[in-house]
Amino acid sequence: MKAPYRIIVSGEGGQGVLSIAKIIATAAWLQGRKSVYMPYFTTEKQGGVSIGFAQIGDTPIPFPKFDKADMIVALSQRALERLLPFLQEGTTVIANSFLVKDFSSVAKWNPKAIDATTIAREQLKKPRTFNMVIMGAMLRFIPGMTKDGFAQALEKTFKDKYVRDPDLKELNEKAFLLGYDLTK
Amino acid sequence: MAEKKFLMGNEALGRAARAAGAKAFFGYPITPSSEIMHFWAGEASSEQGKKDGLVFLQAEDEVAAGFMVIGGVLAGMKTFTASAGPGNVLLQDGFSMAEAMRFPVVAYIMQRGGPSTSTVIYSQSEVNLTCFGGNGNGYRIVYSPSSIQDLYDYGIKVFNTAWKYRFPTFLLGDGYLAKTMSEVEIYDPAERGIKMEPTEAYMLEKTRTRPLPSIVPSPELEIRTADGVDYDCMRNCLNFEEETATVNREILEAFEKAAPEIMEWEEYGPKKAKKLIVAHGIVAAASKAAVDESVGGKSEARLFRPITLRPFPIDALRKAAEGAEVIVVPESALGQFARFVKDALYGHCSAKIIELSKPSMGILPEEIAAAVNAATK
Amino acid sequence: MAGATKDDDKIALAFPKCVRIESKPHLFCPGCGHPEVLKALGFAIDELGIQQKTAFGIDIGCSLLAWDYFNLDTVETHHGRTIPTMVAFKRCNPDAATIAYVGDGGAYAIGLSHLINAAIRDEKIMVIVVNNAVYAMTGGQESPTTLPGMKVATAPAGADQYYMKAPELIRNVNPNAFVARGITTVQPALRALMKDALQFHLAGKGFTFVEVLSQCPLNWKTMDKPEMTFDFLEKTLAKAYPVKRY
Repeated sequence: MKAPYRIIVSGEGGQGVLSIAKIIATAAWLQGRKSVYMPYFTTEKQGGVSIGFAQIGDTPIPFPKFDKADMIVALSQRALERLLPFLQEGTTVIANSFLVKDFSSVAKWNPKAIDATTIAREQLKKPRTFNMVIMGAMLRFIPGMTKDGFAQALEKTFKDKYVRDPDLKELNEKAFLLGYDLTK
Repeated sequence: MAEKKFLMGNEALGRAARAAGAKAFFGYPITPSSEIMHFWAGEASSEQGKKDGLVFLQAEDEVAAGFMVIGGVLAGMKTFTASAGPGNVLLQDGFSMAEAMRFPVVAYIMQRGGPSTSTVIYSQSEVNLTCFGGNGNGYRIVYSPSSIQDLYDYGIKVFNTAWKYRFPTFLLGDGYLAKTMSEVEIYDPAERGIKMEPTEAYMLEKTRTRPLPSIVPSPELEIRTADGVDYDCMRNCLNFEEETATVNREILEAFEKAAPEIMEWEEYGPKKAKKLIVAHGIVAAASKAAVDESVGGKSEARLFRPITLRPFPIDALRKAAEGAEVIVVPESALGQFARFVKDALYGHCSAKIIELSKPSMGILPEEIAAAVNAATK
Repeated sequence: MAGATKDDDKIALAFPKCVRIESKPHLFCPGCGHPEVLKALGFAIDELGIQQKTAFGIDIGCSLLAWDYFNLDTVETHHGRTIPTMVAFKRCNPDAATIAYVGDGGAYAIGLSHLINAAIRDEKIMVIVVNNAVYAMTGGQESPTTLPGMKVATAPAGADQYYMKAPELIRNVNPNAFVARGITTVQPALRALMKDALQFHLAGKGFTFVEVLSQCPLNWKTMDKPEMTFDFLEKTLAKAYPVKRY
């Protein structure tokens, strides 16, 4: 039985860490894969520890947590240090270089440094879309996930939001593609 | 109507309660179970919820919530609450009254760290509390689900079990299951031939199909007739030791009679395996993965998973333990579940029992597999 | 026998129809105020014809002795928990006449949170608090309504200066509720109070709260001096806790 692809995302509470993991897992399920998402957090509503576990595979996944990841995504410096124990041979490392400056602990893993915050602010004029940029960067490495599949999943997940704010759909797609292209 | 959805455990539970025909919820916010209450609040304030006559109140604390659930049950509604940790502690006041008087209160307990406030995350440390809380003798029904699908399936079943057998009935989940999102098939129980148990009010019900004397322990109930009308008078304060002995005996007899019909368990893995894992809840799910890894290997293992902790499937476990050289008991608590295992196997099994106790911490399949590999008789 | 008929008539006049005559003599202490309250309540229930639709909740404490008193659907809860039980019962059975019959200990100490929250939420239940200024059944401990200087089991040198005026408190948090304080000494007035309260409750107008000042000659240590019992009740207690509609 092939092990599922394991993704762990971390940052500070309030950064949308859990949303990233949740949307990726949901998108995978909408594409017909088996997936599991589990949040892990401390009591603060903002600024506390926030970790999202996502697993994507072809057979039902028995346990929502794991100790070694195929991909780690860090949205803050503290988060990067927190995720070090999850590294194994070949783990893909993605980090938001707006907040993560010191990559020395993961140099061996050829980390993908993406300044998602600056991209979101300057190219998209909407800082909150930095999550989408990160997700675009992540997608290239997740086996069995396609750009189109993900776009469809986003449409389903944000159906109500898109009705209220039609521009958001275009913005999200643009942000996503920017991130995707950065990891070519 | 059956549909596959990608849901959080707590939402699966909210939907299960609706599917089961639950009518009233009384509770208090506490992580990690609050989403169940949010879901119900949404349902109760919706058009359909109002049509269905749903009742919802966020109580001033869990002590009140526990007694409000009793109030709803007395009025003949399928009534439940959801809580965890310190909230579960406070609910025991109400639960122990329900236990004494045979009121079918239902609760979804999503275990979190313990003791005290601890973490909001996860544990299996409320086994003692949920099975034996209050000042009774633990004559309650407790189911331990191990997947999101179990949450839905047993989230419905608890209401039927409660109203059929008239014991406080619990779904003992945990914080991981509560917050995990995964695929779950939701369905209307009628489509699957699941018969929903009818309710009857304990008070102000003048036409009964199940007479109260067949339910409420006799020293606690008096039916008074005046002008041809029956009045149901129930109490839990007793005067003589003989009365309390009778109450306890009647509860015990009813529980033992019902137990064979309620008991559930599951076995997994190669029948010839000499290493036996005994686990419940989400740890049983992790144990299944450990069994899968061990199949065909030197450390081949199999799993016995009790699905009901109360009544505990003692005979089935004794049978499963036959031929086992070593028994590994992983749990996210300090011996709370292992005690059930040792209690059941005492005098029946000489295999070494190895407890993998990780109080309030997740246990990975790899850790269970390592413990099984290292286990020698 | 002619004599028996006359006695039966006497009993019919003296007790409400909804009373369980077999429970006579009552289980309360001789001279207790509870039977006066229950009798007044019973007459009001009779007059309004609601015996078959009344759910009667009682607490642990001397109020539990009311379990034998009526032919009414009754449930005894844990101490201090009668109010939340009946709040939920009423929400799930809105047509029922729903009464919580409790003492000053259960209502104002252990159950105070439930009382105040029910009052603030204007829950459509009726609460009757029999206030005798002590925890009577458990041996005369200090209660939230024990007056300064009263010598009680847990304040043998005299109770402190703090005491709780509940109807005033309820009126303060709920301007809409029916709030009154009565007294056991005059039956007709107490009966009228019970009837008015029940009518308010039955009309679904809101939270209905009646405190009744009551005597406990046993714990007041005035069993052999009834005039002192009523002195304390009518002069001391009623002075600190005004008998009136709020």
